[in-house]
Amino acid sequence: MFLFSRFILRQVARDPVRTAITALGVALGVAVVVAVRMANDSSVRGFSAALEAMSGHAGLEVQGSAAGVPEATLAGLGWLREYGSVSPVLEGDAVARVPTPSLRSADGRRPNNAPAGPPAGPPGERDAGLVRVLGIDILRDRALRDYQLLDLAGASRQPTSQEFLDLLSEPRAVVVTARFAARHSLTVGDGFSLVVDDTVRPVVVRGLLRDEGPGRALDGNLMVMDIAAAQWMFGRIGWVDRVEIRLAAEGPLEGTLDAIAGRLPDGLSVQRPSRRGEQVERMLAAFHLNLTALSLVALLVGLFLVYNTIAVSVVSRREEIGALRALGVTRAQVLGLFLGEAAVLAAVGTALGLLLGRGLAWSALTLTSATVSTLYIATAAAAPALDRGHVLLGIAVGVPLSLAAAAIPALEAARVSPLAALRGADRLGSRYRVPLGTVGLALGLIGLAAWCARWEPVNGLPVGGYAAALALVFAAAFFVPAVLYTLGRAGRVVLPRLLGVEGLLANSNLAGAIPRLAVSVAALAVALAMMVAIAIMVASFRDTVVYWVGQTLQADLYLGPATRNQGARAASLSPEVEAIVRAHPAVAVVDHLRALTVTVDGVPVQLNAHDVRALAERGHLGFKAPADAGPARIAAIANRSEVLVSESFSVKHRLGVGDRVRLPVARGEPEFQIAGVFYDYSNDRGVIVMDASTFARAFGERPPSGLAVFLVPGADAEDVRAALGAALPPDRRVYIYTNAGLRQEVLRIFDATFTITYALQLVAIVVAMMGVAGTLVTLVIERRHELSVLRLIGAGRGQVRRLIVIEAALLGAVSQALGLGVGILLSLVLIYVVNLQSFGWTIQFHVPVAALITMSVLVLVATALAGLYPAHRASQLRVAEQVAEE
Amino acid sequence: MLLTVEGVSKVYEAGSVRVGAVADVSFSVAAGEIVALTGPSGCGKSTLLHLCGAMDTPTSGRLEFEGRDLARLDDNGLTRVRRTRVGFVFQFFNLLPTLTVTENIALPALLGGADRRATLVRARGLAGRVGLAARVDHYPQQLSGGELQRTALARAVVHGPALLIADEPTGSLDSANGRAVMAMLRELNGQLGVTVLLATHDADVAAAAGRVLEMRDGRLVSGSTPGPAE
Repeated sequence: MFLFSRFILRQVARDPVRTAITALGVALGVAVVVAVRMANDSSVRGFSAALEAMSGHAGLEVQGSAAGVPEATLAGLGWLREYGSVSPVLEGDAVARVPTPSLRSADGRRPNNAPAGPPAGPPGERDAGLVRVLGIDILRDRALRDYQLLDLAGASRQPTSQEFLDLLSEPRAVVVTARFAARHSLTVGDGFSLVVDDTVRPVVVRGLLRDEGPGRALDGNLMVMDIAAAQWMFGRIGWVDRVEIRLAAEGPLEGTLDAIAGRLPDGLSVQRPSRRGEQVERMLAAFHLNLTALSLVALLVGLFLVYNTIAVSVVSRREEIGALRALGVTRAQVLGLFLGEAAVLAAVGTALGLLLGRGLAWSALTLTSATVSTLYIATAAAAPALDRGHVLLGIAVGVPLSLAAAAIPALEAARVSPLAALRGADRLGSRYRVPLGTVGLALGLIGLAAWCARWEPVNGLPVGGYAAALALVFAAAFFVPAVLYTLGRAGRVVLPRLLGVEGLLANSNLAGAIPRLAVSVAALAVALAMMVAIAIMVASFRDTVVYWVGQTLQADLYLGPATRNQGARAASLSPEVEAIVRAHPAVAVVDHLRALTVTVDGVPVQLNAHDVRALAERGHLGFKAPADAGPARIAAIANRSEVLVSESFSVKHRLGVGDRVRLPVARGEPEFQIAGVFYDYSNDRGVIVMDASTFARAFGERPPSGLAVFLVPGADAEDVRAALGAALPPDRRVYIYTNAGLRQEVLRIFDATFTITYALQLVAIVVAMMGVAGTLVTLVIERRHELSVLRLIGAGRGQVRRLIVIEAALLGAVSQALGLGVGILLSLVLIYVVNLQSFGWTIQFHVPVAALITMSVLVLVATALAGLYPAHRASQLRVAEQVAEE
Repeated sequence: MLLTVEGVSKVYEAGSVRVGAVADVSFSVAAGEIVALTGPSGCGKSTLLHLCGAMDTPTSGRLEFEGRDLARLDDNGLTRVRRTRVGFVFQFFNLLPTLTVTENIALPALLGGADRRATLVRARGLAGRVGLAARVDHYPQQLSGGELQRTALARAVVHGPALLIADEPTGSLDSANGRAVMAMLRELNGQLGVTVLLATHDADVAAAAGRVLEMRDGRLVSGSTPGPAE
């Protein structure tokens, strides 16, 4: 300990800049990993917590078809009370619109005549986001959920049943959470609006749920109303979503579940409420795994900084180590000293990283929650919370990996011979032979990557794809010495001609330090390769989506309800709106889209019903199988009760043309034959398309959730859009997109989805730049004697600075060149293995040449800039003192 | 005079500790001379050589080289002097391990902006003159001690300096190689007219110089005329 505190800790304190950079590098890596994990957890936990809070004491729930449970069947389910308390529930999503503060009167109440307006928001009302409305039968429901109401004085108490009944007997009455009320300055008696589907519904606050239990679900965006009022408001009279059961007896859940399942009539099933959470978790697994993999890149470069710092420490103290060894310190003790230094840095970095991760988690959540809400499920993510699991994750990735990274230089320190070190004769030499074994290993790893890429997904996750990517990364790392050696030979001829004596020196210096540089270049190249691969993947994906959107979006106008497709049940358009559209003289054909989320093999899947004849005539689906399928194939599914499935559905469920898919229908035959597989990039859960008539037979008549409108030739889409908007009654909220507008919207969502990947890349690059600076500082320290000789024989400070900056730029150039090569290979794995297995999407390979050139120039400039600090240090070496050391 | 040293002192400061390395030294060196500095270890020989070679500046006194007061030059000025007018040879050779013999020899001229191709040709010629024609593409690690010092000698004169500073040039060599290096030094002095200021412990080396300056405790104790070392 004495030796550690005197030899290591004092040195760590003596070079605060280097210590801070390293600790910060580790901190950034750990922070990104922890932040991504926290964001991932909170998006799942948000749903699970809401589910838990909302399901209260319900142990089981009875569900019906995708359309719900017909109320008529409830009478026949009286026997469920043998198992415990029973309560029917109806759930729906709506967009809340609350009065703006300016329109409130002095007492905070909003005037009753505040106007309603279009989605963009009139003066006087503003969008308060999506809320979940829980329709309950309060008399039965109190057995399942604990409601704590706040009275006007702020005191909380259990409401009496009569009180609750009174509150809910008024059709417009809602109980909102205290959190929601506080956020929007509402109180009991205030009115506001809910936009349900395309219709504005005025409601009145009749109670406040205390900030606990259900009152905390969905970050307070939960409202409770009477089930009958909810059925009316959501247009679902005669239906409930599920029947929840609070089991009376403690006993084996599975046994009760089986017993109830055995007694339920056809079309109904029983499950644990948590199963819905598991479905969401499974649905998000691939998305989350991709984010985690990306976050590990930042960690990788952070660890490389640890390697670098310990290398600097060893290199700059070689003589001291020799002295220690001469005085009797063992190899193991030397190893322990430097691993101890790494442990200190890792501990400080990890602690900082955990704090930083907490801050970053909000940004990560902001960047991912839009994607989760848009593409997966509408739910308020829970606030990211740093729990014990995250702290352990931070420690688990920060400390042992840092020690592993430090092991290479620490072992080098342990090998220092006392005599050689004291003579100063075992510095790096210029004679370097490429170990052919590493080249063979690299080739072997490429073979391994090719083999792994052919693996089938494991539990729907592209394990083989990630293994292939990892093998490629290591292959690149093992190739680095050979590449540096070859480039060093070539540079000896080219660089002096291009860059004069500084070019000659830079090239020979780098070529003479290959063992030292190999790790640095490999780390930087890997970070850059990931950046290149992701750039290619995103560009390819975007290109594919642009093509697909161009092919599939053929209608002139698209209409959807203001609440869009939120929640399990797609929002719908009212017949009144459809009539207005059909009445417009410029409208030629209207294709109804009816959408429903159905569960296939435990996974939620989008079911779309079209008027397939209109789709066949006017629309366009790109078919994957059969490849020659055309409009006739689309039109034919109407007659045969067949379905078309998207590629992602086909890949995930391993079902193809001719196979049969089982759907939770309300009535009729539950199995449908697959007539074709089409390309679709709207979601990765999969889409099933059936004809409207087939849909009606299986699920009953439902209002359309969207309209695709084809106009007569010569009609101007913008004009018709404006005319339809003006024709809508004031209480209707409908999105009307022109074809071009919807394409823009699709690409906006696409670009928003990938924002986090760019953010994570940026972190990786920044840390990698710190790595270049660190590497060069190591080299400067290691070569301080040679640099002093150089100054001695006439090199000016400017020449030394130029030399180091050229070295930095060369490192950047070599790394970027390697990164480009490996990145292209990685992008092939990402596109053809990881993406296909994670999301089931075929993406056309497209290299964004201009973007890659810009990126390469930026990397070159950034690495050259990273060389400025070591260049400054090198130019400040005192000539006489260094040479006098001899 | 090529070099005039008048009342030069050098004091190093480390915190509150002041260590005088050279104290009030005065002497001069004419062009074409070979002058040896002798004295026990720590007497200030190397510090004085550093000052004369424009590697460092004196704390006080005047140090005139080719009519320029080195004490008044900034870092750039000193670098220019070293790059164009001074050559260096050291006990431990100080060659760059990543450059070949030719490149090491050519380096001072290249740093001074000389034409690359012509300089490399000249460096090869010099390598031949010091007996390393067969070693021009070798790296320092592949050379013997004598060969290393011969390379350093060639490097020290490639840019045509007026003054060659040699700090214990034979200190790391056996006697045969030491004699060969000294012979070469004299030859270069004779053929190129380069002035040589060398520091040595070796009486034989000092004897080969035209004049010996003896130092003790940072001061010059004798040495206006050549004579045997004590």
